[in-house]
Parts: sequence; structure tokens; C-alpha cells
Amino acid sequence: MGEENVNEEECVFHKKLKIKLKEKGKEGRINFLKDYLDYLARDNKVIPPDFPSFVREIMGLDDREGFIHVRIWHESSELVSFARAKGYDYKIDMYD
Amino acid sequence: MPIPKNKKIKNRDVGVNPNRVGNRLEGEFLVGEALVGEEPELAHIDLIIGNKKDAAGMAFATALAQPRQGHTPVLAVIRPNLPTKPSTLIVPKVTMRNLEDAEKMFGPAQSAVAKAVADAVEDGIIPKEQAEKLVVIVSVFIHPRGKDYQRIYRYNYSATKLAISRAMQNFPCVDKVLEEKDKSIHAMIGFRINNLKKPPYIEVALDIPDWRRVEGVIRALPRSDAIIIEAGTPLIKRYGVEVVQKIHNLRPESVVVADLKTLDTGNLEARMAGDATADVAGFSGLAPLKTMEKFIEECRKVGNLSLMDTINVQDPAAVLRKLKVKPDIIELHRAIDVENTEQGSEWGNIRGIKKVCGNKVLVAVAGGIRVDKVKKALGAGADILVVGRAITAAKDVNRAARAFLQEMGVEEVDQFRVMTDF
Repeated sequence: MGEENVNEEECVFHKKLKIKLKEKGKEGRINFLKDYLDYLARDNKVIPPDFPSFVREIMGLDDREGFIHVRIWHESSELVSFARAKGYDYKIDMYD
Repeated sequence: MPIPKNKKIKNRDVGVNPNRVGNRLEGEFLVGEALVGEEPELAHIDLIIGNKKDAAGMAFATALAQPRQGHTPVLAVIRPNLPTKPSTLIVPKVTMRNLEDAEKMFGPAQSAVAKAVADAVEDGIIPKEQAEKLVVIVSVFIHPRGKDYQRIYRYNYSATKLAISRAMQNFPCVDKVLEEKDKSIHAMIGFRINNLKKPPYIEVALDIPDWRRVEGVIRALPRSDAIIIEAGTPLIKRYGVEVVQKIHNLRPESVVVADLKTLDTGNLEARMAGDATADVAGFSGLAPLKTMEKFIEECRKVGNLSLMDTINVQDPAAVLRKLKVKPDIIELHRAIDVENTEQGSEWGNIRGIKKVCGNKVLVAVAGGIRVDKVKKALGAGADILVVGRAITAAKDVNRAARAFLQEMGVEEVDQFRVMTDF
């Protein structure tokens, strides 16, 4: 399988999901996590198994010009659907 | 009546002559069901037809004499003061909470049922000479949100007539049920339960202990009945067996294996896997016999398939012979130390293993499965090919999985076929 034929959409590579928090600081992160839980619970989605480590990750991430950078592996990740559904500004970049 | 092999089973192959309905209904009743239309006016009819002097007649009289709140039975009438024949009792399935619900039931729905019964007599579906001897009990569903009287009437008319016709033909015959049970998509859950009756399959082993990466792999996999998803032991150790539920959340139609490699407390771990919605639960062939047997029996109780992992088991056939109950799947790992040309393949003696289990077992092979090994593994008798990094670490997961499916000669996507038989 040559690299030139790789379907970028379907590649399972690291990607950066850059999400802009609605509020700054610790409160902004807590509200972001509350929003995420709200999104999962309202849609009867199963809580992702990595949620405890995700909470630690979000609370510990650097804030880069209002954005936090979350590692995802697919353009249709549940986190992307969440950001879209809850009206967060976001963009997806490939990892360096 | 024997059904020739490979013949598409039609109900008429084993059906009975409707003209002999009088004799058939001595002491018995016929059952019919039909679903017609679109939500929210969708009509769902269940009915029984039987003789007045037998069970159906008793049920008819009892229901009419003992109405329940919200489920008041009513005689179906063509128009006021003109009940249909055979006498027909309508029983509402959904509790009628107010006059609006009652109007829909006693207006368009009962009128549709009455007309359908009368038309069934006129069309010869119910023999006219039996009309005074028979009774019909029709259970009618009307969704509280159904508003359109036209649709309620038309759907319930069609569904009642179809259900009567089916009842008179004893539809479906048991052979039809057995033929269709593994193919059918459930109307509410939107997919069919795959019980691994049509090998070969590939089992994509997700051993990566990183949920977001696993999610990426699952989303990239093609949707095919031939793909089984394995929650690998490292993934389960990291997140718990509950990870299976999240996988099913992403892929409800897929068979998910919980690779627990259980060594003790067989019934407890099998139950945990079942509670987490695993379709298949795996134990180690190194476990004590009692543990393995308890695991297999518990899987049967909760409706799972059991999988015996033979990693580091010197003689899987000997272990299987000792088991009083056999697992549904044996997973053979390629072990270079025990590789022997007399065993038939590099994964072991697949056909010999199947023979020990009365040829009622699926054999999965794991270790070193690449696309160029597919034909060899299938040729040796393997039913399931366990593939890990060859798919999960591929640059294009979707394409890598499709390459396996193609080499296996599996139709790519067949989960959502349209049922057109009836």
C-alpha cells in the first residue's frame, strides 16, 4: 500500500482538536467538563472509559490563546461531535 | 413435508388449505400479526381467530365481560348497529388516557378492522360458511401521537387484512422462522444480532490501552458483518470490561469480544462480560477445568458465546476432551515451539480440534495473520482470523481492513440489506 494512496480522512493518526474554552481559567475547564457530561448524558451515550484521565488532562492542559489542544485520532471523534453540538469554536490540526 | 435443500422457503410449501379451516379450528385458534405504515400512525395488529365454542370464544366472552380501565374492548362495527362477521373484538394495546385516544380507537381504527374482517370473508380468506362459528380478537396499536385519521384507517385496514391472511395460512411456517432468524434486522434496534453463523470473519484485536486511539480505529473500520471487534486484554485491564459497552455504543451492530483470559472465578467474570454487553467472552485454556466449565455454562446462561484462548496450552485437543461442556470458539495462537508439520498448519491441527468438539465449534487463529496468510489460514479450516497491528497500526485502517475482507472473499457491507421477501 503506497503512502500516496492513503485516505487522509480515514487515517488513524494523531490529530489536534483545538477547542476554545467559553470562560478562562479553572472555572472554564470545569464548565467544559460539565458540558461534556451533559452532552453524553442527554444523548444516552456511554461515558468514555478514559473519562477519569480525560478530566486530569483537561484540568492540566496549557491554555494557548484561549484554546486547549486535545489529542484525537479521528475526524469524527466523539469530542468533535461534542464541540460542534455545544457550540464551541474548534479546529482540527494534524500533529507535528 | 420435507423441504428440498437450498430451496427458498415459501409459506405455501407447508401451509394448509384455508377451506379446511373449520376442521383445523376444532379446539385450536390461529394467530396472525402484521405491521403496516409509518410512524406515528403505524399500525401493529396481533389477532387470533378461533371457534366460538373453544378457547378463542371463551377469551372473547371474558374480555368483553371484564373490561379494564384504558383498554376497553369494543365490537368492531361496519357502521353503527352493524357489527362485522365473524364477530370481532378490538382490544386496545396502548392505554387510552383521554377522549382523543378513544376517538381514534373507536373511530377510524375499529371501522378499519371491521371492514377488513368483512372483506376477508368476501375475498374467501375466511370461508363464508364459517363466519357464524368463528370469532376474531384483534389487538390494535395506536400511538398517542398519531393524528391523521386517513392514515390510521388505511394502515389498520391493511394490517388487519394481512394479519388475517397470515393467520389462515399459518404464516410463518417454522422453517421460514428458522431461515430468517439470523438474517432479520430488528425494527427497533436497527440492526440484526450476529451470532457468527456465517464464517469467515476477521477479529480486529484492539490491544491498544488508549481509548481515543481505539475510538479512532473503530470509526475507521468498514461496517461489515464479517468484522468482529475484540476488546483486548490490555484495553480491558486499563479501563475495565465496561469498555465493551462504549465499543457497542460506537458500533451497535458489531460482535464484540471481551478477551478476559479468565483463569479463576469463571462464572463471575463471564457474567461481568455479559453485563457489559459482550457478545463473546474469552477465558484461558490454562485455567482449571472447573473454572472453564463454569465460564462456559455462565456464558450460555447470559446468552454469550464462550471463547477458549489456547495461548501456552501444549495440547488444546486434550484439554477440550476433558471438558464436559465445550466452548463455542477455540482461539489457536501460532506457537513456533510447537509447530509441527504433522499438525496440518502453522496454527495447529484445526480440523482435529473441530472434530473433538463434534464440529460444532468455530476456530479462530491468531498470531502473524497478514493479508498474504489469509487463504492459507482459511484453507486450513480457520473460521476467524484474529488481526491486530496489521490493521490497527496501518496508515489507512479502513483500507487495510478492506484488503483482508477482499482476500477472504467476503461481501463488504451487508448489514443494512433491505428485506423484500414479505
